[in-house]
Order: sequence, then C-alpha cells, then structure tokens
Amino acid sequence: MTEAVSAPTVSRRRRYRGLLFGAVVVGSVLGVGLRVLGYPIVGEAVYWVGILAFLGVWRFTPVTLFDERDAELERRASNVTLVVAAVALVVGASAARLASVTGAFEVPATVSGALYGYVALFVVFALALGYTKLAR
Amino acid sequence: MNNDVRARREERGLSQAGLAEEVGVTRQTINSIERGRYDPSLELAFRLAGFFECRIEELFDPDLDES
Repeated sequence: MTEAVSAPTVSRRRRYRGLLFGAVVVGSVLGVGLRVLGYPIVGEAVYWVGILAFLGVWRFTPVTLFDERDAELERRASNVTLVVAAVALVVGASAARLASVTGAFEVPATVSGALYGYVALFVVFALALGYTKLAR
Repeated sequence: MNNDVRARREERGLSQAGLAEEVGVTRQTINSIERGRYDPSLELAFRLAGFFECRIEELFDPDLDES
C-alpha cells in the first residue's frame, strides 16, 4: 500500500519559500528606495522584477512549496478576513448612510472608497464561489 | 483526533523532519498532527499509514464517541 512519494527535502522547500517571499520583499523595498531617491521608473522596473521572480519561483519550482496544512491555514485566515470585512462593511455602510441623512458629518471620500472596495471584494468572492462550485 | 504518529515515528528513530520528507509535507505539519492540532487529509492519512505499514484506524483514533 506504500505509495512512492517524491518528497522534497525540507531544506529545499525552505530555500525556495525564502526565495519566493524574498523576491517580493527585496523588489518592493528596492522599488520604494529608488522612488524616494528620484528614480521612479527604475524603481517600478525593479518592483516588477521582484513580482515576476515571485511568479517564476511559484509557478516553475520543482518543489511543492506549500502543503495541505498551509492550505487549511489559508482557508481559515480567509474566513476570518471575510468576517472582519463583512462587519466593517455592514457597520461602516450603516454609519455612512446615517451620517449623510442626519448631516452629522460628511463621510470622507477615502472611507466611501474603502466601503465600495469591500463591496467589490464580496462580489469577487461570490463569483469565485460560483465558479468553484461549477468546476467541482 | 488522537493518533499514534509520534510513538511510531520515535520507534523508527525518525525525526519530524525525516518523516515529513518521507510523506511529502512540512515538519510543521507533522508536528501539528502529533499534537492533535491538525487532522490530516485522507490522502495524507493513507500515506502515513502506508509508511508505517499499518491500517489507518491503527494510526488514528477519531474519538467518535466523544462527538
């Protein structure tokens, strides 16, 4: 019954995971630094090199970078994130509506934008859930 | 879920990292399974049982009476 498993070594997995996240962190930090120093185009290019390196490692590495427990942790964290976003949207939208009706205060454009962002997030989630159901 | 993974692993003189390599997961996953904090998928449970050459129910005790 023993199944042949092509198991990557733990150190290889750790090394590739470090490379994966390191590419984004280094690209982002260097990108910000170059923008601050007055080289915005070069900074943006370096940022994209980091992003592309991340995608390259993630897509083409021969090592399985994340296992089933990582997926379970991500699922739980996503649930918590959605609950927090839902509470923020329900309470925030209600407060914004009341504020505009009573004239208590003017809702800043950034807050309205954030609330619309949450709405967009849930629309994307609903579409993704529907697609996933159809695909399974 | 209770399980016998730690005892069987130690019986074979394997480290958590060693067992993780054998079944294709991270050391943290083995650690979480041994501490009862993570229930493995059916596929991983089969892989562990296969590695230890036993049946799944000899390795894992779902404690169905308690639920």
